[in-house]
Amino acid sequence: MLKAIFVIATFIEPEQFGPNPLSMLWLLPLVAAIAIIYKATKLPVIKANNFIKESVILFASIVAFIFVAALTLHALAWLIIG
Amino acid sequence: MALRSTEKKTLFMLVVGLLSWLVPGAGHFVLMERRRSIIIFVTVCLTFCIGIYIGSIGVVNLFGTAPWYVVGAQIMNSPIVLVLGRLNTAGAYRVYGWPNEIGQIYTSTAGLLNFLCIVNAVYLAQQRGLERA
Repeated sequence: MLKAIFVIATFIEPEQFGPNPLSMLWLLPLVAAIAIIYKATKLPVIKANNFIKESVILFASIVAFIFVAALTLHALAWLIIG
Repeated sequence: MALRSTEKKTLFMLVVGLLSWLVPGAGHFVLMERRRSIIIFVTVCLTFCIGIYIGSIGVVNLFGTAPWYVVGAQIMNSPIVLVLGRLNTAGAYRVYGWPNEIGQIYTSTAGLLNFLCIVNAVYLAQQRGLERA
């Protein structure tokens, strides 16, 4: 009973964190969800191996693109601001 | 009066779309896409739950200050969001800053992903018609 109350309490009290570099890691579960749902709607037949492989490839592609975009913007900001 | 074939098909598509909205993945379940429906249900629910875990149910602020596009995206999750919004009327569960933003992003994205699944289920229903369902 006490455990159940603690679980419910986590949903009525927000987590405490600020805009630090580690909070950027919250994008990973979101990217995983996007990759999984996209592949679940696009693949003609769902087979475990193929589905996991396709989802992982899409997940890695999105993360790599975000990383490159972040590096580019960082370099641009560094060039402008100095 | 009996419904014509096209009317039956339209009704079936509407039912599939409505089911997909009521329970994420239910539209695909009706279309015998069991694996797809389980994947959709688990992923959409988990994404939404992560959102309200981060920002509390205060991120579902349907009748408050949340922008219309966030409210619209959140409602696409399921009608249960309306119940959560009702619980949060008059700002009963206040949340500010990053937890609010990240929570809103998660819950809105879950809703948009479910919207994609609704459109996909209706498209599949339209493609297959009544015969194979």
